[in-house]
Amino acid sequence: MRKTDRTTRTTRTAPGSAGKAGLGELERAVMDVLWDLGPDADATVREVHGRLSEGRDVAYTTVMTVMDRLARKGVVVQQKEGRAYRYRAQATRAEMTADLMRDTLADLGSSERAPALVAFVEDASAEDLAALRKALAALES
Amino acid sequence: MTGVDLTPLVLGALAVALAGPVPALMARASRLHLTPFAAMTLWQAVALAAVLAALGAGLSLATGQTLREEPGPVGGVVAVLALTVTLVVAARLLLSGHRVGTSLRTLRREHREQVDLVAGRHDDLHVLEHDVPVAYCLPGVAHSRVVVSAATLEHLEPAQLDAVLAHERAHLAARHDLVLEAFTVLHRAFPRWVSSDAALREVQLLVEILADRAALKVGRAHDLGAALLAMAHGRVPAGSMGASGSDLVERVRVLADRRPRRAQGVALVLASWAVLVLPTALVVQPWLASLG
Repeated sequence: MRKTDRTTRTTRTAPGSAGKAGLGELERAVMDVLWDLGPDADATVREVHGRLSEGRDVAYTTVMTVMDRLARKGVVVQQKEGRAYRYRAQATRAEMTADLMRDTLADLGSSERAPALVAFVEDASAEDLAALRKALAALES
Repeated sequence: MTGVDLTPLVLGALAVALAGPVPALMARASRLHLTPFAAMTLWQAVALAAVLAALGAGLSLATGQTLREEPGPVGGVVAVLALTVTLVVAARLLLSGHRVGTSLRTLRREHREQVDLVAGRHDDLHVLEHDVPVAYCLPGVAHSRVVVSAATLEHLEPAQLDAVLAHERAHLAARHDLVLEAFTVLHRAFPRWVSSDAALREVQLLVEILADRAALKVGRAHDLGAALLAMAHGRVPAGSMGASGSDLVERVRVLADRRPRRAQGVALVLASWAVLVLPTALVVQPWLASLG
């Protein structure tokens, strides 16, 4: 227990920005493993750690921390099965992408939005498009 | 100082003018778009001067009443009222600044975390597997991202894509998000009885025009314009009220007219300077001196 704590702490206080960026990158790697299992398939931390260890040097407790974070964010679902926790992706990558895009498009389409994103084009109507084509034709000449 | 002190009156009138009619007039002058950098400078100067004049008017009214030879009860009431109004204005600005800043940071962090989980990478570009074309940037000090959808990569020709990416990177490099944030704060603090809506909309357009100009350093105007059309085309069903769409037409109009307008640019920068410095020198300086 004590050893676990210490390892977790050293992971969290890893040097500067590299530690934080590393965590985000690991979250992504964990999700890739879960998504590769296929829809609704689940895995334990040990299984995910096994897959990740093939390509990198990563501590078991680090993977556990990352998966715990993902569970708290609601991106993965944690379920107790016997003595171990099993984890699965809450949605497929395509579903998550669609959700994100829906939020983004709704945000860009609203007039009273906070400028969280700065987009290349906001929403246009059919009349706008016609006017835009005309303006573009003037640009060519 | 002898006679009636005009400081609060002058500053008050200036604040009202700079908060209402001046921005309203500026928003209607579309030729300002042709010198976007100078126009942006003027918008910022006018907004800052309006806030300073409003605060200065209240403070000078309060001090003018309390520092009289014989401060009567009416003077006392006026002073308290003036001070209260000043504090309310300042508090609204600070509160709005706090709220907007916090919510923007949260929204961006959450969005960035989701993008990082689901998006593919092409060098420093984040690509979302989706069939609606989008291109946007997520501003941030150390964590900025340029995000496009797969549809954008499919629909645009290489030269057009380069122009779009240069446009988004220009937003990030010039920290346009900070200007937008400041004007959003102003608008949320004083949504009515101040033309903050017009100011915010104009600043949003100017930011796009500035990024368009920056993109022209790597691409041709026609590539950028064609990219605008292609991207807007893929997005039409999403919105029914295309009020902001006229911005697109205005951007193409500005793309077509890039003759340098030095005189207008210099005039706007001088006006920016004047609107900030003249009230300080002519009104605030004597008032402060009279306090000493």
